[in-house]
Amino acid sequence: MVQSQALEAETGLVEQAQHGDRNAFGELVLRHYPGVVQVVYRLCGDTALAEDMAQETFLRAWINLTSFHPQSSLRNWLYRIAVNAALDVLRRKPDETLEDEAAQMIIDHAAGPETVLIEKERAGQLHQAMRSLPEAARSVLVLREYGGLSYQEIASVLDVPVGTVMSRLNYARNRLRELLKAQLPQMENEYA
Amino acid sequence: MHEDMRTLLNAFLDGELHGTRLQELKRHLASCESCRDELKDLRLVSGLLQADPLPEFMPAERFASNLTLSLPRRTSRDLPPKPGSMVWWLVPVGLLGAWFFVQTVFLLANWITAAQTTGLLGQAATWLGGGPQTLWFAAMTSFSGTHLGRLQNTLSLLNQLDIFGVNLLTGFLWQALIVLLYWGWLSVWWLRGRPRPMKNANAS
Repeated sequence: MVQSQALEAETGLVEQAQHGDRNAFGELVLRHYPGVVQVVYRLCGDTALAEDMAQETFLRAWINLTSFHPQSSLRNWLYRIAVNAALDVLRRKPDETLEDEAAQMIIDHAAGPETVLIEKERAGQLHQAMRSLPEAARSVLVLREYGGLSYQEIASVLDVPVGTVMSRLNYARNRLRELLKAQLPQMENEYA
Repeated sequence: MHEDMRTLLNAFLDGELHGTRLQELKRHLASCESCRDELKDLRLVSGLLQADPLPEFMPAERFASNLTLSLPRRTSRDLPPKPGSMVWWLVPVGLLGAWFFVQTVFLLANWITAAQTTGLLGQAATWLGGGPQTLWFAAMTSFSGTHLGRLQNTLSLLNQLDIFGVNLLTGFLWQALIVLLYWGWLSVWWLRGRPRPMKNANAS
């Protein structure tokens, strides 16, 4: 009930924004910025670049908003634009994603120098492993793990069959499993 | 069997497996230790990804206010046509009206021409004028008298332009053009009315 009301409100905002209402579009940006910026960050691994890509995503959305049908999922539409924008940038500037000091700063707030070191190492390995994945597999993994999209939604966002989503996800997770083999027992102990 | 089941582990982990496939995999997991281990690893990988902290991004409020300031201005051309507006619905009405007009004109012209050829009109044919081109115009103006007003001027202009000559091909072309325009309008109406596929949403 609450969800359908929220969806209805969003449809209203989309229609207003389609007719040039910047405030309505600003409200939509407020709602979807956290999801969009997270997806692009997970794709590129760089905070500043992720914010730039998020901005690019919303600008493209504003320009093309009239072609969007208000009954469709705005979140999925934005994710599609975001993934395309991120992949465009990554193809142009593949070196942009190597270091992200801002991301490491977060870990610095954790207690204890030894924990910090372990966390940093773990995060570094994870980011390295993510970057080693092909773009197609990484996009599927990010949309599933961080975007929270179903297989059907991912297929729709990336314009591929559901079977392709499944095979890319299998590949991505199994590849990460191989690359992060050393970390898994440690994770298991933490969960236990 | 084992390999088939292995490919379903991720879908199982993501809650995307249903029905008989789900039951099959559950049965297989109960008897296959290697698949259970793999599922456990996949779950840990997923947990590792989820546990990776996010950096601090620009607050959403600041991002939104910065963005709305830099949005390009939208011109009236960018605005979507309102399907409910008067102009939108006048298009098919106008096209149907045009089709009706063309149909009437050709029927009248053919009828009068046939009547004149067979001599059915007798002496009355003399006031209809010379060539068949003017037959429909003469007939319409005669039948309607002086009530046509401005419409008469328009008809006169069309008559002089020779666009409604008694010619089956011309008649067919005019009707085909109207039908095509009507189909075009219907297509636009249908495209605007259905949920847009994500492919069209690709703004890159």
